[in-house]
This record gives sequence, C-alpha cells and structure tokens, in this order.
Amino acid sequence: MVLTLTVNGDHRASVADPVTPLVDVLREEFHLTGAKPVCREGFCGACMVLVNDKPTPSCLMPVALAQGSDIRTVEGLGSGGTLTAIQAALEACDAVQCGMCFPGMVVTLTHLLATSPEATRDEIRAALSGNICRCTGYERIVDATLSALAVK
Amino acid sequence: MFYIAPSLATALDALGDYGPEGAAFAGGTWIMRAPIRHQLLKARYVAIGKIPELTEIRIGADTIEIGAAVTHAALASALADLPEFTVLAAAAGRSANPAIRGLATIGGNLATSDFSAADCVPALLCLDAQTEVSSRSGRERMRLDTFLKQRSTLAPGRLLTKVVVPRSRAKSAHARLPLRKAGDYPVAIVSLSLDVDTTNHVRAARIAIGSVETVARRWERLETALLGRALDPAQAADIAADLAGEFAGRDSVEVPPWYRVSVLPGLIRRATAAALGT
Repeated sequence: MVLTLTVNGDHRASVADPVTPLVDVLREEFHLTGAKPVCREGFCGACMVLVNDKPTPSCLMPVALAQGSDIRTVEGLGSGGTLTAIQAALEACDAVQCGMCFPGMVVTLTHLLATSPEATRDEIRAALSGNICRCTGYERIVDATLSALAVK
Repeated sequence: MFYIAPSLATALDALGDYGPEGAAFAGGTWIMRAPIRHQLLKARYVAIGKIPELTEIRIGADTIEIGAAVTHAALASALADLPEFTVLAAAAGRSANPAIRGLATIGGNLATSDFSAADCVPALLCLDAQTEVSSRSGRERMRLDTFLKQRSTLAPGRLLTKVVVPRSRAKSAHARLPLRKAGDYPVAIVSLSLDVDTTNHVRAARIAIGSVETVARRWERLETALLGRALDPAQAADIAADLAGEFAGRDSVEVPPWYRVSVLPGLIRRATAAALGT
C-alpha cells in the first residue's frame, strides 16, 4: 500500500507500514534528518514537526494518519535561502545550540510566533516545556524569541 | 492493518470484525510507545480520531458531553470559561506538554489501564462523571469507577465513546506534583470538588487521588472527615496526613512508594486553597 504525504510542499510517496512513526519515514525515506528520534516518547521534542501548522512529535504519529496533512519539517521553514523571523533572531542572539534538540525548538517557536504574538517570557517557557535541552539551556532561546516577537 | 474510520458505525463494525486482534487508536501517545515498553503492537488498529461524533464537546444546561476522541487541548480550551470545571480544565490543560495535549485524547486517558498517572481520571472521578461504552449491539452508560474496574476486560468490539459530566455549583481544583515543573508525569494528583455554604462549611465533598496507586480512586474517608467543617487548607492537610496510611504507593523507577503517599497532605492543602480561591 502506497501512502501519499505532503512534506514541505512536495508530494511524496511512502511504502512504509502504516503504523511506522512519521519521524522514521521523514528521515529514512525522505532523508529529512532535521527531526531527531531521541526519546521516542513525546517528551523531548527533538522530532517536532508541524502538521497542519500544529507542533507534533513525529515519533508518536503513525505515518498513515499524516496523510492529507500539510507536514513541515525544520528544513521547510525558510524559503529561498532566507531565514524565518525566529531563525534570524536565534542566530542574532547567539542562541543556536547543538543540532539535537534545536530543530524541534525552532519548530515549536515557529508556531508560537504565528499564534501568540503577545507571548510573555513565562508563556514562551511553557510552550517549550516539551522541548528538552540536555547540554546548554533555555534562557538565550527565550531571549531570542522575545526579540523576534518585539520585531513583529 | 490501519483502518481510519470515517464514522462511529464503521469503527464499531471494524472493531467487531477484528476481535481480539484489533484495538482502537485515538491519539496514539500510549500505543506508539509500545516498543519502548517491550510490548507488541496489535495486528490491526482502527483510528477513531477523525470521527465527528467522537470529537465533539456538547455543553448543555445539566451536563457536558465529551466525545472520547476529544484532545486534552480541545477540552481545556472548551472549559476555559466554565469555573465549575476548573479541575478538569487544569487536568487537561497542564498534563504532559503542549504537543502531547494536542494529540492525547480523553478516551485514551480513561481507557489505558496501564497508565496510572492520567490526570483526567481523578478529575473526572471527583466530578462524578459517567462513561458511555458502545458496540455494534448498542450503547451502555456506566459510572466512571465502574468503567475503571472493567476497562481491561472489556470485550473486543466495545469502545469508550463518550464521557458525561454533570454540572454543579461546586468549587473544584486540581493539584499535581511532577518531578519537573512541567512536562512529565505527576508523582501524585489530588482532584477535588467541594460544595460549601456561604461560610465555607463543607456540605459535600468528592476527592480523588491519582498516580499514587495503580488506579485512581476516591478518598472517601477524607471526604467524610471534611463534611460539616469550615474549609481550612492547613486543617485539611492535617486530616489528610492522619488518614494517608490507607494508601499503598505504587513502585516505579521515578520515586519510591512512600514518597507518593507522603506528598498527599501538601497536595490536599494546595487543592483546597485553590478551590477556596486563596
């Protein structure tokens, strides 16, 4: 059975078992390796992607249920070599961390910027409660998000 | 086999046909972690998350009806302006993390018998909720505590389809203690619903404890002990400390059994203070 998916605007086909976690299809079949399968429990957020604009842990979504949805990975956030507002702010604030948790953080914060233009520091922290950093920290990321919100 | 059911009738037909080889798949936040628990996936799943009837919340004059596939996020949002359901809004709106709340369903929270730390179970127990279980042969209404006893032995083809919660003027609150501030499972949960008079004397109380034992349950001795008293959080905590010995905490890698019990008085104090608005 062939599954059809829309990923970063492209129509893709997969022959994976329908219960296969979306993150595995993204990485193994489509070679979109920004989403990381780290905890595979929905706790760490490293596999976060946008499904119909909603942050979704792709380790917990069977690929069959992703059919008919607009899936955006971290690779598909910017366009034409241009950074998004949150990507630019994270770079400007020197908040970019190792590549394990960070793609998921960018995905979550992309949604926050789109939906909560008045977000406070506490609300940003709450939004990131499902994105775990194990090596550096959160404060500069929160600062960068506040600066991106201030620009908008 | 992964069948995405377009309607409740087709879902019940498929579950009936699949028998013990099949299971309902709602948010997937428990089932998709089966490999981590070293459990096998079922051979067949029936996805119920796109069934309109199961994703509705109906707020009536006497009851609210919550479809089993309503997500925690949708439920918290729907209850935001109903103070009587503060306990349920908090349970649905603070569990796990935001992305999980967008996937995990109320039905999954209630039907997953191995999940002891489900926030919505004690919240709905203290609200005196009823459940509706459906199959091809009809629908059956049962109290939530009855459903909790039967859920692991429900016959194949039977599906939790709805939760019905009576409306009241009681004050409610939800207190939970996760090991981190947010984002993980609570060590213990206190959900309570208190009917108090104008001088804050307790006329009726329903208090439910989650995550301490394997299955959430009402704390009836504490409910009885609070009846007729002026509600005072510190005193309620003292009474809870005297009665907490009836709980035997469950063991786990996160905390020892005694710890889950030892935090109950503090959570009772927090929950009663929240219910009083102090």
